Amino acid sequence: MVELDNQKEEPIPSDYNEDSDDSDSTQHSDESDFEDSSADKDGDSSSGSSDSDSDSKSELEDGSPAQDNSGDSEDAESQDEDDVKSEGGSEGSDIHQEGVGGDESDSSEDEVAPRNTIGEVPLKWYEDEPHIGYDIKGKKIKKKEKEDKLGSFLANVDDSKNWRKIYDEYNDEVVELTKDEIKIVRKLMKNQAPHTDFDPYPTYVDWFKWDGAKHPLSNAPEPKRRFIPSKWEAKKVVQYVRAIRNGSITFDKPKEEDDAYLLWEDDSGLTEKANHLAYVPAPKQKLPGHDESYNPPLEYIPTQEEINSYQLMYEEDRPKFIPKRFTSMRSIPAYENAMKESFERCLDLYLCPRVRRKRLNIDPESLKPKLPNKKELKPYPITCYIEYKGHEGAVTSISVEASGQWMASGSSDGTVRVWEVETGRCLRRWEIGEAVNCVTWNPLPDIHILAVSVGQDVLLLNTGLGDEEEQQRIKELLLVDSPKASEETGKKAPSVSWLKDDKHDGIRLRHLKTVTSVEWHRKGDYFSTVMPAGESRSVLIHQLSKKLSQKLPFKLHGLAVRSTFHPSRSIFFICTKKTVRVYDLLKRKLIKTLYTGLKEASSIAVHPGGDNLIVGSKEGKLCWFDMDLSAKPYKTLKCHPKDINNVVFHRSYPLFASCSDDSTAYVFHGMVYSDLNQNPLIVPLEILRGHANSNGRGILDCKFHPRQPWLFTAGADKLIKLYCHY
Amino acid sequence: MGKHYRPAGKKKEGNAAKYVTRTQAIRLLQISLPLFRKLCILKGITPREPKKKFKGNDKTYYHVKDIAFLHHEPLLEMHRAIRVHERKIKKAEAKKNVERANRLREKTPKPKIDRIIRQRYPRFVDALGELDDCLTMVHLFATVPATKEKKIDVDLIHKCRKLAHEWQAFIARTHRLRKTFVSVKGIYYQAEVEGQTITWLTPHALQQVVPDDVDIPTMLNFLQIYQPLLGFVNFHLYHSINLKYPPLLDPELEAEAAVYGLIRYAQSNNKPTILETSELVESEQLESKQDGPEIQNKKSELRLAQLQHQLPSNEPGALMHLVEKAAGEDGEEYDDETKQCKNLFQNVKIFLSREVPRESLHFVIPAFGGMVSWEGEKAPFAETDQSITHQIVDREAQGHRFLSREYVQPQWVFDCVNARIILPTENYMVGRIPPPHLSPFVDYGEEGSYVPDYAKTIKHLQAAARKEVLPLPGVEKDLEDPQNLLAEGIIDRAAANQAAKEKQKLMILEKQYHEDLKKELQGATYTSAGSTEVIQTGESLNNGQANIDDVDMAELVMPNKKRKLLKAMEISNQRKQSKNDTIIRRKKKLDEAQNQRS
Repeated sequence: MVELDNQKEEPIPSDYNEDSDDSDSTQHSDESDFEDSSADKDGDSSSGSSDSDSDSKSELEDGSPAQDNSGDSEDAESQDEDDVKSEGGSEGSDIHQEGVGGDESDSSEDEVAPRNTIGEVPLKWYEDEPHIGYDIKGKKIKKKEKEDKLGSFLANVDDSKNWRKIYDEYNDEVVELTKDEIKIVRKLMKNQAPHTDFDPYPTYVDWFKWDGAKHPLSNAPEPKRRFIPSKWEAKKVVQYVRAIRNGSITFDKPKEEDDAYLLWEDDSGLTEKANHLAYVPAPKQKLPGHDESYNPPLEYIPTQEEINSYQLMYEEDRPKFIPKRFTSMRSIPAYENAMKESFERCLDLYLCPRVRRKRLNIDPESLKPKLPNKKELKPYPITCYIEYKGHEGAVTSISVEASGQWMASGSSDGTVRVWEVETGRCLRRWEIGEAVNCVTWNPLPDIHILAVSVGQDVLLLNTGLGDEEEQQRIKELLLVDSPKASEETGKKAPSVSWLKDDKHDGIRLRHLKTVTSVEWHRKGDYFSTVMPAGESRSVLIHQLSKKLSQKLPFKLHGLAVRSTFHPSRSIFFICTKKTVRVYDLLKRKLIKTLYTGLKEASSIAVHPGGDNLIVGSKEGKLCWFDMDLSAKPYKTLKCHPKDINNVVFHRSYPLFASCSDDSTAYVFHGMVYSDLNQNPLIVPLEILRGHANSNGRGILDCKFHPRQPWLFTAGADKLIKLYCHY
Repeated sequence: MGKHYRPAGKKKEGNAAKYVTRTQAIRLLQISLPLFRKLCILKGITPREPKKKFKGNDKTYYHVKDIAFLHHEPLLEMHRAIRVHERKIKKAEAKKNVERANRLREKTPKPKIDRIIRQRYPRFVDALGELDDCLTMVHLFATVPATKEKKIDVDLIHKCRKLAHEWQAFIARTHRLRKTFVSVKGIYYQAEVEGQTITWLTPHALQQVVPDDVDIPTMLNFLQIYQPLLGFVNFHLYHSINLKYPPLLDPELEAEAAVYGLIRYAQSNNKPTILETSELVESEQLESKQDGPEIQNKKSELRLAQLQHQLPSNEPGALMHLVEKAAGEDGEEYDDETKQCKNLFQNVKIFLSREVPRESLHFVIPAFGGMVSWEGEKAPFAETDQSITHQIVDREAQGHRFLSREYVQPQWVFDCVNARIILPTENYMVGRIPPPHLSPFVDYGEEGSYVPDYAKTIKHLQAAARKEVLPLPGVEKDLEDPQNLLAEGIIDRAAANQAAKEKQKLMILEKQYHEDLKKELQGATYTSAGSTEVIQTGESLNNGQANIDDVDMAELVMPNKKRKLLKAMEISNQRKQSKNDTIIRRKKKLDEAQNQRS
């Protein structure tokens, strides 16, 4: 405290001194200025900084005995003495100071009092005046000449003390701050007490002297509570203990480290059944090949062209990884997709359904069924032996006579021809004048009648074969006395009218709509015709002997395509576009409907046994039905890429064939066993080629020879071919 | 009444009764979708593929039993508790009660994974069988940067790194590593543990970038099960070789060569057990039978030396007996392959220079019985050691070169490992472009697969090494340039093929001629018949066709399903073939270019 007072008061006495000096020596202001400044400096330094160098120097200069500066307990008086001494000293060193700082400005003077006496008036008033104000004697103080900016800047740059110079506008002079002043400024900026020696936390000095005291300050005896344990604390403890025992206070469990332990200690006798579904382990990731190497063989690196071509591919087809080559291991960069690929794997692991799939690692050839040797299934038609030429249009239909000696053909050029099979000689030729749709021989060997469908008509022609007796019978059969309408006579127009055809010496059956096919009953008396556009009368059955026609008493669901008779029983098949309907003609009811599963059936053939039938379709499929087995196909063969035009069974050999617009005919082995447990055996045998394609149509019809394993095919290229088994 | 009307109260049947969609499952479990996903990941439940997708093709279906399985899962209850707890923490934080919030945070219930692991992998072998993904993921996360915004914890990454090192140390210590492959994606390793082939991928020792389109929480969910799984597996494996787990590691070594340090730890910790057991001959024999896999040749030698000290010298019979025993034992514990792996780098001392994949080499070289050192304070031997046989350098060094050792590129180590022989080093010299690095996972057994040249060279070298006959000078030349040898072989084969083909052709021609003759005779008979035109199409034409027909015929009779399968197989085979063809074409071009240059 003492020290503090001392220092606070310190500048004041020195100020007084200087003031008094000033008042004393008013006449010689300049000289006294010098003295004052030095005196002031000394006084400041000696008092302010206790350990500064300048202080000690001045003391040495003064020659005064070394004062104990750190002894702060000195009185103000002694300080004054000191000041006086130093003043004296400074007087002594006056000359010396003059010599050194002769050109020093009189700046220190204004600490005493401002040079200017204008008071607190705005300095603006003197802006335009040549003086800044008046000194204490009333003289004008002239303005100093202003340095140009460049000059002052250069001077500033050179002057290392520039930073502590401040321009005082009031007095129009530059003031240089001393070290101590700067220290004070800094302290102020830090919000501290300005004086360096000020100690905000002095050690406490106890004023009371305890040493010699005979008696304690308080005479009260030590209380009992200082010696015995606290009752209330004990109660509290008991309370806690009870609470802990009761469990109402629980402690945090020590933090558990989830360390590993021997999890699978005994998994040898593991039989416990998992209570969840069978677990399918995730498939392992594909192992990398050579192309993923950092230094793959050169042939694995795609060329620039190939890389460019990847851009043209679909994004799915584009290779995901393009091999790259690095010449040393240090040049391998971090793989940019590492995180992404790992993430994708994660997604696969938890989002993809897992299915156990059998991976067939077999030769694809082994998938193919083993077919019996074809040589054992001989004979069957292999090679084309005879071509029957003569037609000038596509041959639409052929038919072989029951004995196998004759073959008839109808063509789109409007002719019907009869050929001798063995020689290829054209026996007879009718000019019908209209494209022929269908030609069929009567199945009886002694009735040589040919049924020909031409547009809306069906012609029954006498071929003129056979001996006279037979001819007589045929002529009788083909005799129509008068135009005769079929069964019903009434409001409706007759569906068929039997007319005499004079030109060809036969019978003409005039239908309402175009007739596409004609089919004879095995006994040769009945035949059926199909008019696809005929709606309820689309399938008709005619009786030759009585010259009668009748429509089927059944409702047909769908468009009729073909019809055929059962080879031995009175059963009638109608092939519609999607189904085959089987009728019993005697009982007059539907027996069965067979569902082909085809889009558009085009032909039907019944196995001579009668229990199996095949249906060909316009999408090139061939269905084999086992009627005892199911209403669905026993086997579907997709053999032709184009429409099947006709399918046919051989009468005696286990053969069947199909012909199609792709100019091929397939020959199959179709064995039906008498044992009902054994399924029919179907073996494709031969593809017969040779016909040319014309206008998108290939082979229009095919028929087997009734006795030999020979196949006739009628092509759109105006040819009829015979394929034989040798 | 609609077609699909089902009276109320009637039970569902078929697929609708067996499966539920994901939304249904979530509603049933009364949980959020993220939690459902997490549970599915932890429990290993995947969607199923019902035969009929009754709610549409775009839905995900789960089996009812799977969902019931989740429904009874204690983890579900645990997560509900966690959610409640989190709400408490939130409340405490909102009330600025930091102390309570922190206390609660510490007390957050932690789900136990061990039970789930046991449930998913009832046997240890099951766990090993599915370790591939686990190892790959853990190794990947060991290199991922920890980021706060992605919620990747530092502890997690350290743990991953630790687990990965422990696993590698075990594999190296027991010499179970079989194949390595340096790919662009990282380094693949394949090991065989308890009959299970385990393949994993470690990224290159560079920091990974975490892209934004990757859902990190999902990956962390996986890591939540993978990390403890690997911990338990490691424990089991360390336990099986009588080692304490977790292993303690010298912290200085950890920074430099963690794997190496662990391996050394494993080796040093094994020794004392044997030293202790070698006190009595009888007990020792029993022990050695028991503590199977940790014994190795070196150890038995050491033990023998000790026994020699202890046993009276006049009992050579007993000693001989022991030797035999030890030998037999070794044969039992190490199968031939492991032995081969263990002895591959037996006489090799390798020093690693800077700029080589040190971490990988620290793992691979000891795994194949080699000694390895590096530049560092804790390195086992210094670079100046004269007994060093190979020094691995990637960049041509300017410093002192020792004549006693060979300076090779790191690829040499990996190629040696894959070939299981010490390959000649001249191709791998520093400064040269090394020969192609081939994948050891490619199976050349498949017919028609392309075999790169260098694979053939290696095969030759392997054959030479197996016979242990030094190749004769003449042969050596061939071996050095196996391409020549091979080319000759190819030419020979090609010539033979050509000859065979020509012979066949001749035979066909002959046959055709005979048949033609026959035909002509028959044709003549027919031409005499009349005006028919007899076609003299040679049967040869038909014959040629017959083969094609044969193939087609069988296809005709096939059921649709099988035919489609056949088509698919044919297409995939074709694709494979076309890939092969491109490579062969490129190779041809390259060869041509080389020929032109030379």
